[in-house]
Amino acid sequence: MVNFTVEEIRELMDKAANVRNMSVIAHVDHGKSTLTDSLVQRAGIISAAKAGEARFTDTRADEQERGVTIKSTAISLYAQLKEEEDLKEIPFKVEKNDFLINLIDSPGHVDFSSEVTAALRVTDGALVVVDTIEGVCVQTETVLRQALGERIKPVVIINKVDRALLELQLEKEDLFQNFSRVIESVNVVISTYFDKSLGDVQVYPDKGTVAFGSGLHGWAFTIRQFAARYAKKFGVDKNKMMSRLWGDQWFNPKTKKWTTTAPDGVERSFNSFVLDPIYKIFNAVMNVKKDEVLKLVNALDIKLTNDEKDLEGKAQLKVVMRKFLPAADALLEMMILHLPSPAQAQKYRMETLYEGPHDDEAAIGIRDCDPKGPLMLYVSKMVPTSDKGRFYAFGRVFSGTVRSGLKVRIQGPHYTPGKKDDLFIKAVQRTILMMGRFIEPIEDVPAGNICGLVGIDQFLLKSGTLTTSETAHNLKVMKFSVSPVVERSVEVKNANDLPKLVEGLKRLSKSDPCVLTYINPSGDHIVAGAGELHLEICLKDLEEDHACVPLKFSDPVVQYRESVGGISSITALSKSPNKHNRLYVTAQPLEEEVSKAIEEGKIGPRDDFKARARILADEHGWDVTDARKIWCFGPDTSGPNLFVDQTKAVQYLNEIKDSVVSGFSWATREGPVAEEPLRSTRFNLLDVTLHADAIHRGAGQIMPTCRRVLYASMLLAKPAILEPVYLVEIQVPEQAMGGIYGVLTRRRGHVFEEAQRPGTPLYNIKAYLPVNESFGFVADLRQGTGGQAFPQSVFDHWQILPGDPTDKATKSGQVVEAMRIKKGLKPDVPDYTNYYDKL
Amino acid sequence: MAEINIHPIAPPVLSTPETHIFEEPSAPTYQTAREPLSKEEIHAVYEIQRTLNEIQEGKWRRIALQFEDSMLPDAGRVYDILKAKLSQTTPNSQEDQPNQPSQPDLENLSIQEQGQDTLQELSLFVLGDTSYGACCVDEIAAEHVDAQVVVHYGRACLSPTARLPVIYVYTTKPLDSETVVQTFKDTYAGREQKVIIVSDLPYYSHQDTITMKLEHEGYQNVFATKVLHNPSSPIPNRTIPEEADLNGNILKEYDIFHIGEPPAALLLTLSSRVYSIHIYTPSTSTPNRAALRASTAIALRKRYALITSLSAVGIYGILINTLSVANYLPMVEHVKAQISAAGKKHYTFVVGKVNAAKIANFAEIGGWVVIGCWESSLVESSDFYRPLITPFELRLALLSDEERTWTGAWSSDFNDVLRTAVPGATDTSNASTIAAARANDTTNATDITSQSSIEDEDPEESAPPEFDLRTGRYISHSRPMRAPPAQSAQGNTPNEGDEPGSNSLVARRPGEIVQIGGTASPGAEFLRAQRTWQGLGSDFATDFTTGSGGGAGEDEGAVVEEGRRGVARGYADGMDERRR
Repeated sequence: MVNFTVEEIRELMDKAANVRNMSVIAHVDHGKSTLTDSLVQRAGIISAAKAGEARFTDTRADEQERGVTIKSTAISLYAQLKEEEDLKEIPFKVEKNDFLINLIDSPGHVDFSSEVTAALRVTDGALVVVDTIEGVCVQTETVLRQALGERIKPVVIINKVDRALLELQLEKEDLFQNFSRVIESVNVVISTYFDKSLGDVQVYPDKGTVAFGSGLHGWAFTIRQFAARYAKKFGVDKNKMMSRLWGDQWFNPKTKKWTTTAPDGVERSFNSFVLDPIYKIFNAVMNVKKDEVLKLVNALDIKLTNDEKDLEGKAQLKVVMRKFLPAADALLEMMILHLPSPAQAQKYRMETLYEGPHDDEAAIGIRDCDPKGPLMLYVSKMVPTSDKGRFYAFGRVFSGTVRSGLKVRIQGPHYTPGKKDDLFIKAVQRTILMMGRFIEPIEDVPAGNICGLVGIDQFLLKSGTLTTSETAHNLKVMKFSVSPVVERSVEVKNANDLPKLVEGLKRLSKSDPCVLTYINPSGDHIVAGAGELHLEICLKDLEEDHACVPLKFSDPVVQYRESVGGISSITALSKSPNKHNRLYVTAQPLEEEVSKAIEEGKIGPRDDFKARARILADEHGWDVTDARKIWCFGPDTSGPNLFVDQTKAVQYLNEIKDSVVSGFSWATREGPVAEEPLRSTRFNLLDVTLHADAIHRGAGQIMPTCRRVLYASMLLAKPAILEPVYLVEIQVPEQAMGGIYGVLTRRRGHVFEEAQRPGTPLYNIKAYLPVNESFGFVADLRQGTGGQAFPQSVFDHWQILPGDPTDKATKSGQVVEAMRIKKGLKPDVPDYTNYYDKL
Repeated sequence: MAEINIHPIAPPVLSTPETHIFEEPSAPTYQTAREPLSKEEIHAVYEIQRTLNEIQEGKWRRIALQFEDSMLPDAGRVYDILKAKLSQTTPNSQEDQPNQPSQPDLENLSIQEQGQDTLQELSLFVLGDTSYGACCVDEIAAEHVDAQVVVHYGRACLSPTARLPVIYVYTTKPLDSETVVQTFKDTYAGREQKVIIVSDLPYYSHQDTITMKLEHEGYQNVFATKVLHNPSSPIPNRTIPEEADLNGNILKEYDIFHIGEPPAALLLTLSSRVYSIHIYTPSTSTPNRAALRASTAIALRKRYALITSLSAVGIYGILINTLSVANYLPMVEHVKAQISAAGKKHYTFVVGKVNAAKIANFAEIGGWVVIGCWESSLVESSDFYRPLITPFELRLALLSDEERTWTGAWSSDFNDVLRTAVPGATDTSNASTIAAARANDTTNATDITSQSSIEDEDPEESAPPEFDLRTGRYISHSRPMRAPPAQSAQGNTPNEGDEPGSNSLVARRPGEIVQIGGTASPGAEFLRAQRTWQGLGSDFATDFTTGSGGGAGEDEGAVVEEGRRGVARGYADGMDERRR
């Protein structure tokens, strides 16, 4: 029985203080979807019995089958605090004890972390789920970092406590130590990415920002809940009690005194007051001591039906614990009390969200979360509808109100104010509420809420900004922590199905925030994704849902980039076809930090050139004059290659700038070695000689010449091939570690960190592994370690493939030759003299 | 302006210093090592006798001789021989003619007409430096000298010509028929193999000998092609076996044995029509080795990639690469109609011989359609800034993604392209409007499915963007001419009665496309939106905004003075006495 209506929800939307937008984030298999079930169950959408098993937010069949979340799923819930007076504890003014929780369950596997990014953008708070036993893992850290980068406030739940009790049989003190270690490591991550505007967002159990529980069994608690119980019982202040129940606090029952050092034979307060009742229940139920159970149940004021009394073992444990400490209560309390409302959050999030000036009408609308301001809505992803090929645009209203029939300006990611690229005008057909696998139509949605839109999917590929203000800039484009570095080509089995494949590729591209689909210059249809699993899911979707025709897939291959390993040995010179113009250029590697900054959007072509020069000079040691004279980024005007003008007082230079820029973007798209895109290369224009007549230095003369001179300068600067490298994190018991080293060495990987997980026999190994060698790595590793090692790989950086690409005896030479042959080029890398002209 | 009295900063030097002027690099030399041909060889290679006969038969007096660049060294001698022989024979023939009994009576009339021509002095011209491909007959150059006939030397595309009669001389090259036969035997072990022999025109004369020898060797199903002036034939310019003529599919059972390096267009055309192609190249092939099997898969896939990469392009350039192929004008019209029907913009260019520099001068063009003969319209090179495609490929590129299929069938013949448009409607323009209407229908239909009555009422709503298959992104201006903003603007004006006339300034709406003469001009829009250089003086502006100007820009600009004027061949100085 659903205990709320759309009308109720719509009413709540107007009260920004009563709205919480939050995402559930964690490492894979730490129990996000399972925990989410408890909340969904509280809202009456699924029955209590199913909660923890239904995984309501895993809407796809393959998600259910594999037990892994692939897409993030949103659901709007109605919630109330149990105690009306708790409202006072919310750090801002709230009038009613009715809350709207917009919750997004996100996938945990690294390959799908672009989904997490999309979810974080539209939420203000995050529920970080951490496994008691596994602790903070690589993906926990990644998503937490992303959340803090988006200025999203975290609260933590330590999940799977039942396993610690039942499987590991941890003693109370060990469990406490385990908890504090996990919280400590979460706080280490949080403080590493400290953001002044967000303030201190470290989590503390005694402040109520940490919960403990078991998603599977549907129970969870916070210190606050226990403090409230004891405060009533002992008649002390609740807040004082909270601080007593965590950390180095002991209560001496004899002296009735609190101390901060342990008296003999006394357990710490957390153990005696909080863990003790739980241990007792576990003990009684699991050892089938029926009388004891009944006694406990009565003492704790839990009401069991007769059927439930007859249950045994885990089944009874679940029922008892769920009635004792319902997970939804603990979670909702944490969210409502400690996560910010949209009105709060948008005050500090505006500067990181909005690209334009921070004082225009759109910025002010966002800052104030003003439902009457100009519409500012960010579409973060596309959700497939039951109607094939159509999508709901899923996003967050940051300012104004979106309603059916409203005519909006749709600004794609490449929109620049004042230009018409990527700008469309269209009426929103319908606004809807996303409810997991269902949708509910809704009349309008005011600022601060999450919604779905019908009828604008054709205008946005993956994400974009919707606005009604003609002067509004874009909301910042999302930057993903993963890159599509693995690709497979797709072919139709039957040539007549080709249009369906092309259509399928378009739809696939829309349905996933990260996947890239295109036709490469060799005529192959390419699907590029973050990893093997990601590609596997994408291709399955492509074949079954999007194209619906039989397809053939190639083996996965990695993408390469071209770069240089040194500075051009001599200045490259090329003459224009009419021999009247010369360009002098050198190439050199671009600092890795700068490339990264460009890829992360910290340095970009749209920045103010002075501000950009400042960053380059201060943080990366550039010469200020050089930094100010960056002509362009490439490829696609935004990539991590730079063209720097170092000429002095040259006539007509501005006139040829456009031609040079075109030549540069052409050359950076297809490098000289294997026609792969360039990365991390910097070109310096040292001098030019130009013909005095404009007609003889037109685009036709300069553009091809620019391309030639860039090629020559690269070939003179130790050309290199870059390959993508994964950061692999492996958890493994000590005895199986030898196998890991063997497997990694065979695959050109190397371990750079090895640490024992405190309190467990498990080791955490971090290694770098070239993506090219990672295919089949998981299976190989399982075999090498007897199935005891579980790797998580995430793209980390690009590294130079050792060897000279022009020498076929080396690894990189072979890679290049294979690529060239595949592209139908001459197998030999052209010599620089092909592009270099003698004076 | 008040600054004039104060000494202005020296005007910038507007010419490259003397020391920077380039010396002309030594001109490229063509085949220095070639032995001059003997007189007999000249006669044989350039088929002097046949040429003479044909000229005399046609009674042409003004004759243009067109040579390939590589043959120009021989041009003088061929000219001399022909000139000598023609001046010897013509007076005789003139006298002979009335007496000749073989001359049919019908000819009398024309003879009289010709009589006037024969009064004309006999003159021959050598056409060097052909404006387009060497394979095409340069009719325009020939018309410049008012020629009556063109003698074309070298390999030719045999495209039908529109204006002038042509005598083709294939300039036979030597070929060792024994090696060819040996290679053939190595290539095809089975004597029953169905093989079509196609030889490149310079080797055509050897073909009969080779076929005879092969039949002698026991090959039963060898078909030797004959030259046909018809590029639309299933094997362009060649006859096909009779059984294949009746049933096109039978051709698929045949292998092609090609003597000489085939042009790329021929390979692509044939690859989907026959079973396989083997190439024997006389210069490289050594005896006792099978002929190379041609692989067109990579080339065809690349063409496919090109086609799909151009489907989202908004501006096409039509590049006229021939002026002598029959049908090229209807083809240009056809291509224009196709592009317009797709809502895209086209500009037409005639640049003479195509090279990368000429193409790169027009950066606003997204892709080029080459109208040329069937051989030269396929330009395969990565040196061009934007890809060049053939009209056949254009048709595919303009198809919507829902309709485009790619079987590997490829054609570069005009007639094929013109013919494909016919089934839709009698007129090409009709066909294209229907296509456009259909395209509209489909977009509307998808909208309607998701409930909309609002859309149709609203002219201001944008058309959805298109997915660019090359980059995997959305492109918003792939059909700049589809919904001309001019319409909506004009539609509004009459309603507001007191709207001022056209001579008042109207603020340009952001996002509106540039218009020239009332029609949207994507080319001008490109220049406005993409170009940072806006002409002289804009350096000074850029200095303040981007800081990337030259050093001089930091100072105040000098007073504008009159500079040099004229054309590059010779300038008149602004301060020159003559101008005062």
